[in-house]
Amino acid sequence: MSQDAKKNFNYKNIDLLKRYITETGKIIPARVSNASAAEQRKLTKSIKIARFLALLPYTDSHR
Amino acid sequence: MNNYELTLILNPDLSSKFDDFESKFSKVLADIGFETKRLENIGRRQLAYSILNHNKGHYVIYQLEGPAEGAVELETKLKYDTAVIRSLMLKVDALSLEDSVLMIESREAKKAPEEIKVTPPKGKVAEEPKPKEDAAEDTNTTETE
Repeated sequence: MSQDAKKNFNYKNIDLLKRYITETGKIIPARVSNASAAEQRKLTKSIKIARFLALLPYTDSHR
Repeated sequence: MNNYELTLILNPDLSSKFDDFESKFSKVLADIGFETKRLENIGRRQLAYSILNHNKGHYVIYQLEGPAEGAVELETKLKYDTAVIRSLMLKVDALSLEDSVLMIESREAKKAPEEIKVTPPKGKVAEEPKPKEDAAEDTNTTETE
């Protein structure tokens, strides 16, 4: 995570966000990914925006 | 005046008519007093889940500057625009005037299919003689051996 600290968590940066969701589409908890509280807040927000814009799935059982 | 980042997912069937939509939409923006600082036409993209029975969407990202009252008006207009299947307007501190990751990705994706398109005929041509060559080589080797 420390390597990604400088990376921008943006809803458009899907490849980065994908690393922080499980195969089923869940957001990986900070205690597992070792994200700092600030990082996890940004990450969570970005992932949720990306989901709304259909860039990331909410779940693996869509449709 | 505020800065806004507007992401639209347009109906993929209207993808080819994007220029028409763009010219109409730019008038709408001008009427409300919005200024387009940057427009990223990302193009068709696979949706992570289907929206209104569409599996693909035409993504566009606008970097806008305009008044807050206009933002509300714009959102209601987008809501009733049938060409827009989803829209998200975010207020941002600073507009990003560089290519977004999505844009870079789509550009690379556009390049890649071209390469693929070029390669299949070559591949087909190459594939046919290759086995023969291999066979010939094999026979040669076997003969020499």
